[in-house]
Amino acid sequence: MALMFPTILKNLLGGPATRMYPVQVREPFEKARGHITFNDDKCMLCGVCALRCPAVAIEIDKEKKELTFYPARCIVCEVCVTGCTVNAIDLIYKWRTPFYTKPTEVHQAKGKRARTPT
Amino acid sequence: MATRTTVPFGPQHPVLPEPVQLRLTYEDEKVVDVVPVIGYGHRGIEKACEIQEYAKNIYICERVCGICSYQHSASVVEVMEKLWPVELTPRIKYLRTIWAEMSRTHSHLLWLGLLADAFGFESMFYQFWRIREKVLDILEMTAGHRVIQSVNIVGGVRRDIDAAQKKIILDTLEVVRKESDSLVKVLANDYTVKARTVGVGVLTKEQAIALGAVGPTLRASGVSEDARLGKYDAYGDLSYEPIVETAGDCYARALVRARELFQAIDLQVEALSKLPEGEIAVKVKGNPPAGNEAITRMEAPRGELFYYAKGNGTRNLERLRIRTPTYANIPTLLVLLPGCQLADVPVNVLSIDPCISCTER
Repeated sequence: MALMFPTILKNLLGGPATRMYPVQVREPFEKARGHITFNDDKCMLCGVCALRCPAVAIEIDKEKKELTFYPARCIVCEVCVTGCTVNAIDLIYKWRTPFYTKPTEVHQAKGKRARTPT
Repeated sequence: MATRTTVPFGPQHPVLPEPVQLRLTYEDEKVVDVVPVIGYGHRGIEKACEIQEYAKNIYICERVCGICSYQHSASVVEVMEKLWPVELTPRIKYLRTIWAEMSRTHSHLLWLGLLADAFGFESMFYQFWRIREKVLDILEMTAGHRVIQSVNIVGGVRRDIDAAQKKIILDTLEVVRKESDSLVKVLANDYTVKARTVGVGVLTKEQAIALGAVGPTLRASGVSEDARLGKYDAYGDLSYEPIVETAGDCYARALVRARELFQAIDLQVEALSKLPEGEIAVKVKGNPPAGNEAITRMEAPRGELFYYAKGNGTRNLERLRIRTPTYANIPTLLVLLPGCQLADVPVNVLSIDPCISCTER
């Protein structure tokens, strides 16, 4: 019992041990894995991100020039970010806010070399 | 005449971290027989690793377990690297060792909290987990995620530890060491804790060897056996000795894990001071060659983790086999539980550190 006295005094006299969330928010670490965003202007629909994604969260449609991303499936492993040939995918270090229904993001790829299949 | 009743302990039970069923037969509050039933967490990971291409197996295998996730990730990468074989730089080996010991720190802090929770000492439970948050913070800062750190790839690691991060890690480890020290002293010397754990669940040396126990369960019974003695990764350069106790009861297992916690902090500090320069990733060409087989044995926080892989020339592996430490430790329950009282069952089950999601990958 006597061994716990320093801890007891520290808990009584010190402030709360947890942050007053959401008033006080800890800044996330840089390069911590938060969520993925796509840059429509640079994407050229090469499809490397869709091939490499382990969670099958990215789908490429070359005829409609669209990239469909399912954020609920994404495990934020960053493989698409490192594999993208034109650096069109960014890793944001803040977590995504919770959602009630699973969203689907559709991006129109406008990169320079997006060409229709022959 | 005493009556016998069979009661199912689990699969849902407040003290178990993961679902397992133990069919306990009682004779007036004393356990006489136990039949473990597993299968509540099976996900077919070994088959999934044959279907996916080899580079994506990392993301499947590190999700076998949430607590010893780093050792699964490092094992699957190392067993695949042995198929070519790929030559790694010393910096990669040291970085993997640092993250492995960081993972062991957080796992043992988690277990010490669960042990306190098993006999109702909830304030110690949350004090240990509050210290564990600091370890998870340095894991997130260096590797990217708190629990499932996807930081290994075939041929190296994806992130580096620079000088500023090194200083933060060393300062955090010093705080963790000081706070854990005061809490472990309470756990080791408290009269109630000792009354609940000393002499409870005794596993003798012969029984431990005959049942095939691994990890701290084996080392608490007097056998000096550890996969880190095989000197994989950077353990050949670090000063490491297995921690052994001879009593074989729950108290001895708790002491082994508490001492391994401090030893893990020491190993991280030593490895960070000796970190060599070099590349963090090596280029790997082609598919795993056909017909090559490889095994790797790594020390997870719960014991020896064994991986086997076989390549067949294509992008998919022919076979991946995982033998996890809790799979080898569950038979010890057949010896630990009969003869103990009803209230000792949670303490005994938790003292082998069950990780059932590892057992049924």
